[in-house]
Amino acid sequence: MLKNGKVKALSLSVLVSLAFANTAHAQVTDEDISQDHLSTDQIVTSGMGLKGQRYSTLETINTATVEDIRPVWSFSLGGEKQRGQESQPMIKNGVMFVTGSYSRVFAIDARTGDELWQYDARLPDGIMPCCDVINRGVALYGDLVIFGTLDAKLVALDKDSGKVVWKKTVEDYKAGYSISAAPIIVKGNVITGIAGGEFGVVGKVRAYNATNGDLVWERPTVEGHMGYLVKDGKKLENGISGGAPGKTWPADLWKTGGAAPWLGGTYDADTDLLFFGTGNPSPWNSHLRPGDNYFSSSRLAINPDTGEIVWHFQTTPNDGWDYDGVNEVISFDYDDKGKTIKAAATADRNGFFYVLNRENGDFIRGFPFVDKITWAKGLDVKGRPIYDDAFRPGNPMASTDGNKGSSVMAAPSFLGGKNWQPMAYSQDTGLFYVPSNEWEMEIWNEPVAYKKGAAYLGAGFTIQSLNEEYIGVLRAIDPKTGETVWRYNNYAPLWGGVLATAGNLVFTGNPEGYLLAFNAKTGEEVYKFNTGSGIVGSPVTWEMDGEQYISVLSGWGGAVPLWGGEVAKRIKDLNQGGSVWTFKLPKKYAEVSSIAKN
Amino acid sequence: MNKIVVCLYIVMTVLCCKAHASSLDDIIEAKEIVIAVYRDYAPFSAQVDGTAVGIDIDIAQHIAKTLKVELRLKWITAGETTEDDLRNSIWKGHFLDKTKADVMMRVPYDKVYSQKRDDVGLLVHEQVHMFAPYHTETWKIVFKKQKIEEVSTMAVFQYHPVGVEVDSIPQFYLISAFRGSMRKNTHQFPSIVAAVEGMQAGEVDAVMGLRSQITALHHTLNQAQYQLAENAFPLIGKQKWDIGLAVHNDYRALAYELGDIVTAMINDQTMADIFKTHHSTYEQPAYYM
Repeated sequence: MLKNGKVKALSLSVLVSLAFANTAHAQVTDEDISQDHLSTDQIVTSGMGLKGQRYSTLETINTATVEDIRPVWSFSLGGEKQRGQESQPMIKNGVMFVTGSYSRVFAIDARTGDELWQYDARLPDGIMPCCDVINRGVALYGDLVIFGTLDAKLVALDKDSGKVVWKKTVEDYKAGYSISAAPIIVKGNVITGIAGGEFGVVGKVRAYNATNGDLVWERPTVEGHMGYLVKDGKKLENGISGGAPGKTWPADLWKTGGAAPWLGGTYDADTDLLFFGTGNPSPWNSHLRPGDNYFSSSRLAINPDTGEIVWHFQTTPNDGWDYDGVNEVISFDYDDKGKTIKAAATADRNGFFYVLNRENGDFIRGFPFVDKITWAKGLDVKGRPIYDDAFRPGNPMASTDGNKGSSVMAAPSFLGGKNWQPMAYSQDTGLFYVPSNEWEMEIWNEPVAYKKGAAYLGAGFTIQSLNEEYIGVLRAIDPKTGETVWRYNNYAPLWGGVLATAGNLVFTGNPEGYLLAFNAKTGEEVYKFNTGSGIVGSPVTWEMDGEQYISVLSGWGGAVPLWGGEVAKRIKDLNQGGSVWTFKLPKKYAEVSSIAKN
Repeated sequence: MNKIVVCLYIVMTVLCCKAHASSLDDIIEAKEIVIAVYRDYAPFSAQVDGTAVGIDIDIAQHIAKTLKVELRLKWITAGETTEDDLRNSIWKGHFLDKTKADVMMRVPYDKVYSQKRDDVGLLVHEQVHMFAPYHTETWKIVFKKQKIEEVSTMAVFQYHPVGVEVDSIPQFYLISAFRGSMRKNTHQFPSIVAAVEGMQAGEVDAVMGLRSQITALHHTLNQAQYQLAENAFPLIGKQKWDIGLAVHNDYRALAYELGDIVTAMINDQTMADIFKTHHSTYEQPAYYM
C-alpha cells in the first residue's frame, strides 16, 4: 500500500517537472550559461558562473536569518559505493543533477528529494584510476546532462530520461587515464581535461561539440606535442604546444611529461579565455628532468575556439614535490587608484596565492596563504619561486644501497596548502575565502620497491600536521594586500568547496560532517548542522517558489583517507556516506527578517 | 547446521565471484583455485585470441593440476607499485568488484621488502605471506649488430640510442647514472614490446629491460641481426632479485602446500622447462641451492 502511494507521489512530481519542462526555459542555453553568475533561480555551471567565483546575489538567507534555515529533504546515493562525494549540485527547472562516486549520475526533484532517474556507468574490470573513485559533477547543455567517467569517457544523458544520447572515449583508461572533474561548456563546446597517474601520460585539454560529441580541438599541455583543430570533419595540425619539443625537458622526457589538467577549467568572457591548470611533471623525481618542464604545474590561458595557448604562468618550475598546478583560476576585477584591473587569482598547492593579470598572464603579486612554506624562500618579481635546495627531495638513484636514503621535510605537503576544493570570491567584501590546510611531508628514497615483478625505485612519504589543534584553515584573504582578514581553524583537513553570498555569508563543509556558515566580514560562525558524514563537496544556493535553498553533498572520502601516517590517525573514525542535504529558509521567517530589517 | 553453512558457502564462492580468499581446505572442497596474474604481460601472462598464455599461466596450471582443482585466473591491472597489486588481489580486494584471489604470482621474494615498515612503524605487508621463489630476475640488453659491434660496457650508450620502458629502473638508470651522460640517448616507450619494435624500426640501437622479457623477445627477432649483451650494470642498485608467490597471511597451510609444489617443479626441471618453452632465460633462486 505504502509502496503504491510512494510511486504515485513520485509520478505526480515527475508530471509536475515535465509540465515545467514544457515552459520557455526547458533547455539550458548559451545565454543561461554565460549569465549563470547573475541568475538566482538555477545553477547551470560548476562554479556558479563560468568565472568560478561561487558567489550568489541572494540575500534572503543572511547573518540574521541563517539560524532559521532547516533541512527540507535528504537524498541517499545508495548502494555500498559511498566513497567521497565531491560533486556540486546543478539546478534546472526544479530538477537537481548530481554525480556520485563510481561515475553515477542522479536526477532529483529539487522540491521533494524524490529520485527521477539514476545512471550508473558500467566500468570495465581492469580499471585502475589513480586517485580515488570520486566525481565532481555534471555540465548541462540543451537537453543534455554531460559528465566524465573513471574510464575516461564523456557521457551525455537525456535530462528527462537519463538515457545515453552520445558517448565519447576521451582517452584509453588502460593507459592510466581517468576523468573526475566537471566539464565546462563555453559557446556550445564541452571542454574537459583528463587525470592520469605516473604511467607516462600526456595531459590534454579537449573541446567537443556539446550537442553531438564531435571533437572540435585538442591541446596537449606538455611542450612538444601537436595540437589539433577539426575543420569539416578533418583533424588538422594546429601548432605544437610551446613551439618545439625538448626546450625545457632533457632527452625525450617531454614524450611522457604528465602535466594532466585533471581539475577542469574556468572561463572569462571579458578576455574570451579559458583557464586550465596542469598537474605535476612525470617522472616524479625532479633530478631526472633538469629544466622547467613546460607546461607542468602551470596555469594556461586557452583560446576557447581554437585551443591555442595564449599565455602560461608556471607556479612550480621543475616541480619535485608533486605540487600540481591544477587549482582553479578565478577571474575578478578590482580598483587600483581608479583603474580597473582585470585580474585572476589562484591559490596553489605550493602554498602561494597568486594574483595575475588575466589578459596576459603577468604576475601582479603573490604571497603565502599558509603558515609554513619551506621549499621556497619566496617569489621573485616575476612570481618565480626562489628555491631552498635543502628542501628538495633527493635523487633516488643516489641511494641504491637498500637503506632508507636521505630524507627531507617539506611544507606544504604534496596534498597542498590548498587542494582541489574550490575557494569563493565575494563581490561585496572583495575577499577570497580559501579552504586551506596546514601540513608538511617527509619524503625519502625507497630503494626496496617493486613494480610488476621488477625492481623499482620509489619514494616513501608521510604527511604530518603542523599543529595538534587543527589542520584545516578557512581563510578570508584580501587579494590586494595579502592580508588574512579572518581565519577559522578546523581539526580535520578541509576538503570541501566554499560558497559566498550577498547575505554576508560564507558556507563550507568539513570532514566532521558539518555544514558551516560564517559571517563573511568577521568570520564569526553563525550556523552549523551535522549531515552525518564528512562534507567534501561544494555547497550551492538558489531560489525556488520564492524561497532560498542551500544544498550540499555529504559523504567522506577523496584523497585524504588514502594517505597514511599521522593524518590518517586523525580522520580514521570519520564514517563514509553518500547523500544530498537540502535546506531552505521558510517564507515566514524571511518575512519576519525583512520586517526586522526595516 | 554446519553442513548447510558449508554448502551455502560453496554455492556462494562458485556463483558470486569470490568475495574472499579461501583456505586450502576450502579450495580442495570447492575444486577451484583463483590465481592472480598480470594483464598483457608477455612472456609471463597474456591473452592471445582469448587463450591465456605465458610462463606464469603454465606454472598456475601446474599448481591447479597438482592440487586436482580447476584453475580460474584473476587478471590484474598493474598499480603504481606491487603494494597496490597485493592489496587489490590478496587482502583488501579490488575496489570496484571487491573480489580477491587465493594466490598472486610474480611477487618479489625479498626479506627486506616483506618485512618493510611504514612511516608509523607498522608492517606494510602484515596481511600478506610471500613465499616459494620460482625464478631469479635481472636486467638485460638486446642490440642491433648492424649498429653496435659489441656492448661491453654501458659507456656505449653515450654514443648509441637505447630504448627503455617508461617509469622503470632502466629509465631512471639511463637518464641519471654516470652524471646523466647517457641521458640524451635514452628513448622512452610505453612498454618493452614497443621499445623492441622501435629498435626494429631504427629508432634505437638497443633496448634494456627485464631479462625474462628481453630474452623471450629476442627469440622472436632475426637472430643474425639482434644479439643479447653480456654487460654489467654498475651503480644500478639491485642487480638480481627473486620472484615468488603470495597468499593472504591467514592461509599458511595453502602456502606450505604450494611451496612443496614449487620446490618439486624446480627439482624435477618442470620450472626450467616452462621457461624454455617460452624462450626465456631461467635462473634458479639461491634458496634451493
